Amino acid sequence: MMDFAPMHSAPAEVPVEHHSHGGWDPYVDNGGTSLAIAGKDFVIVASDARQSDGYSINSRYDPKAFTLSNQTVLATTGYAADAKRLVEVLEQNAQTYFHKHEKQMSAPAMAQMLSNTLYYKRFFPYYVFPILCGLDKEGKGAVFAYDPVGNMERVVYQAYGSASALVQPFLDNQVAGANQRGHEGGLLDRETARKIAIDAFTGATERDIYTGDWLDIFVIDQTGIHREKRELKHD
Amino acid sequence: MASLRPGEANLGTTIMAVEFDGGVVVGADSRTTTGAYIANRVTDKLTKVHDHIYCCRSGSAADTQAVADIVKYHLDMYSSQHGEAPTVKVAASLFQEICYQNKNNLSAGIIVAGWDARDGASVYEIPLGGSIHRQTFAIGGSGSTYIYGYCDKVFRVGMTKEQCVEFVKNSVSLAMTRDGSSGGVVRLAVITKDNVERIFVPGNMLPEQYLG
Amino acid sequence: MAPQIEPSAGFKFDNVKRNQLLGDKGYKLPTATKTGTTIVGLIYKDGLVLGADTRATAGPIVADKNCEKIHYLAPNMYCCGAGTAADTEFTTNMISSQLALHSLNTGREPRVVAAMTMLKQHLFKYHGHIGAALVLGGYDSTGPHLFTVYPHGSTDKLPYVTMGSGSLAAMSVFESRWQPGMSREEAVEMVKDAIEAGIFNDLGSGSNVDVCVITKGNVEYLRNYARPNERVEKEQSYRFRQGVTEFYAPRAARRGQDTAEMDTSA
Repeated sequence: MMDFAPMHSAPAEVPVEHHSHGGWDPYVDNGGTSLAIAGKDFVIVASDARQSDGYSINSRYDPKAFTLSNQTVLATTGYAADAKRLVEVLEQNAQTYFHKHEKQMSAPAMAQMLSNTLYYKRFFPYYVFPILCGLDKEGKGAVFAYDPVGNMERVVYQAYGSASALVQPFLDNQVAGANQRGHEGGLLDRETARKIAIDAFTGATERDIYTGDWLDIFVIDQTGIHREKRELKHD
Repeated sequence: MASLRPGEANLGTTIMAVEFDGGVVVGADSRTTTGAYIANRVTDKLTKVHDHIYCCRSGSAADTQAVADIVKYHLDMYSSQHGEAPTVKVAASLFQEICYQNKNNLSAGIIVAGWDARDGASVYEIPLGGSIHRQTFAIGGSGSTYIYGYCDKVFRVGMTKEQCVEFVKNSVSLAMTRDGSSGGVVRLAVITKDNVERIFVPGNMLPEQYLG
Repeated sequence: MAPQIEPSAGFKFDNVKRNQLLGDKGYKLPTATKTGTTIVGLIYKDGLVLGADTRATAGPIVADKNCEKIHYLAPNMYCCGAGTAADTEFTTNMISSQLALHSLNTGREPRVVAAMTMLKQHLFKYHGHIGAALVLGGYDSTGPHLFTVYPHGSTDKLPYVTMGSGSLAAMSVFESRWQPGMSREEAVEMVKDAIEAGIFNDLGSGSNVDVCVITKGNVEYLRNYARPNERVEKEQSYRFRQGVTEFYAPRAARRGQDTAEMDTSA
């Protein structure tokens, strides 16, 4: 679990199934990588779709980024079964909200609900590293990143998953301009953000064995969610 | 006694040898496993250590191959220095000595069988601790536990060569179907004064038996 | 006079226990690069074909995208290595050197069984601590020979073999398609398919296919025989403009002559 370490430091202490020597372990790390980049009036979310266990591929296309409403996307990594269950719970609660209040949940509302949902299982956590994306009240791109027990932080960009240690520094450099003397700062435009997201994944696919096969890209803006599916390498 | 180390090739095996008047029949299944994976489905676990002496190997593939290679070397030296073939007893004693002295580092269960001019046909069993037992017939390996009753019931003193071949073929085949670590084909060798005859029974030509 | 203590013969494995104890206390040993690998070999009408993928891994990271796993042993013999990269490299190098001396002494081309015996005796001596899993193939005066050698020192002689983490994927190709007396073209194609089965279905294997065809008196080493995983072009250029790197003020500035930023645009 994350203490007060920076959000992008690698998740370390959640149990993961190696070849278990006795003792039952309910968690599996299914690999894969997710990222999100916020812009002035949009968010880009990208996840690869390979699902693996150890050296085996369970599925070449099992998406781990989910549309929760027509304004929010949840990108996950970690244990795929927990991620799917988490999405079910969120969808049910969002539905209840809709009937009670006669309106769709906003992204910030969804973000707080996700935090609560995760913390509700504080002592048997969902082994999931969620990134929730949407637009805030002012229509600005909003990225919320979590640890498995509900610690939430609004960020401009985030990479989670098996290639996070490769992708996050790349985003630090290309999105935030880290280590670039004289960088102007500011948010990226949509096309540049998209290119960086794609290059992050083709690069991660080269060097991380758990990332590959297919890439789902979502662009969220005022007009809704726009999806794109791209091929990655299959080795 | 040493147990199998992770990743080590295992001859979780069924092996067998029977004496008859004038020779011995040795037999084995052909499965080598590493964990759940069959690394070799047509293994020859019947290893020649001299012209008329064979050993049946069970336990660690590496250990039993190394021991058999050493014994083979000593028997070759023996016959060229003495000008005559070693007895089965000499061969079995060599196996026993190595298995006993290195019992903490080896997992090897071996049956030695063959024919020599002094004792005729003989069968020796050397189980895990390195003891030695002369036997009229011997069974070994993980699959053998399934066929003790069958073998004790069916074995008769004074069976012919042909009867012994059938006995070994049936016994090994029965063990193979019950023991997950045994399987594949049945390999046999009939060792007599004059020659060694190798018999190969493919997996689809095994004796008929209840498979329900 | 100090009493002479005779050193006892043979290897000592005391450090293995010590390292295990230290490991349990949390002092982890440095991890060696393991080549999660697919390596194969098969015998065909005129000789044999060896194959290997080219991915080397360090845990989940691809350490080398195009490494060589088919090692030279002798002019008529090659050896594919899986397991600990350093062990396969040094073991094959050492046996290669001994084979060269052996054939200089005997004046003959070395036999594959000789290499196999030297490998298994070396590995057996080290109780499996040398993590070399090998596919050994060669053509000598007695014909083509193909062996697998396990880290503990056991060997198998078979007409078609696979090893490494991708061995199951590769074996599924051989078990469904191999037959005796195949042509060279069929053999090379099947080896390529077996390695590609490993490349695409085993995460420990990847990148390219290396092939080595050994026949009587001839070896063809086909490095990168197939390249089914070329990197796609990047969406944009990542060339940094000049002067982007942070630096401390140059020596001249520190002497107080100039505290302004240096112009690096030239």
